[in-house]
Amino acid sequence: MSVRSLNRDFGERRLEQTDPLADLLAGDKRSWDNFVRRYAALIVAAVRGVASQPGDIEDLTQEVFVRLCKDQFRLLRSYDATRASLSTWITIVARSTARDALRRRRPDSVPIEAVPEMHLKVDAVEPTPKLKLPEALLSPRQREILGMLYDREMDVAEIAVALGIDPQTVRSAHHKAMLKLRAHFKADSE
Amino acid sequence: MRARKTSGANPQERALWRRSRETDAPFDEAEYLLDLAAFADNRLDDDDTARMAALVARDVTASEDVAAARALTAAEMAADERIVARAAALVDHTRPEALVLSFTPRPAIARSWYGAATWSGLAAAIVFAGWLGFDLGSGLSNPSSVARSGDDLSASEMLDPAPLMFTENSQI
Repeated sequence: MSVRSLNRDFGERRLEQTDPLADLLAGDKRSWDNFVRRYAALIVAAVRGVASQPGDIEDLTQEVFVRLCKDQFRLLRSYDATRASLSTWITIVARSTARDALRRRRPDSVPIEAVPEMHLKVDAVEPTPKLKLPEALLSPRQREILGMLYDREMDVAEIAVALGIDPQTVRSAHHKAMLKLRAHFKADSE
Repeated sequence: MRARKTSGANPQERALWRRSRETDAPFDEAEYLLDLAAFADNRLDDDDTARMAALVARDVTASEDVAAARALTAAEMAADERIVARAAALVDHTRPEALVLSFTPRPAIARSWYGAATWSGLAAAIVFAGWLGFDLGSGLSNPSSVARSGDDLSASEMLDPAPLMFTENSQI
């Protein structure tokens, strides 16, 4: 049986409880030890996919565990068992943390005289455009429908024909999109 | 001239849509990580799946993370005991609430003793070196000190012949 399936079993078994990580988040040392023993191999594997040098793996793995328990398990508290399995979430977190840690490490300094001039040339960097709210909150279809409705002044029937979908689907997508935007701005203003 | 068509859309909703298009998306990392994990697990609804698919499609890193999360099986993996022990030690045994262990600073008393001993040693070394230099110098200017055997004298001359050139007993 793979560790992943073991992890998934663990997650699902714990899901039956009110909070799968309740004991651990309450500071129970034994729960933390069990958690570490259960997920260390998965984290090592996830980190290995990011680390450029095998010698970094142990330290990067520790960075992941530090991040998970930092500030009274702040990141671990953000995990929601109803949205994703713990093993998948940990893999994503481990890779993200390892990348950040590698980025933070300073490269060995070399006197500028020792660097050939051709290596000093800096490639032009195009500024990355910031993501606007609709891209972050809405699906492409929802964005398309809102754009047709509000920017191109099309009505629901026209949109349905243009997209080859049912008018009810247009209304539904519009409704869900509006709920998301309202929720965002409401949360933003609070 | 074509009359302006009205779609019957709610003006408030139109304003909300336009406002959203002018607003930069905030980045909530915890939420993003959960979304990515949910996407990898195929647990999102159709709209959110499409939204995340669009984000992943233009972000190579996110795409690799999703692929890794889907592919990672650890059947042949076992974590090094040292790694497990290091991570387990992050949470303290003795405290009721979980805390990250930090290095304990050296006690203030020990620090002050260490500092005092260091500076005292340095001061003593300076005083001793000063006294030694003074003593050697005053020994050379004392006439009795030059009434020495021929061997001593020649040794002294080799080391510092100048002061001896002007003594009474010199045999120049």
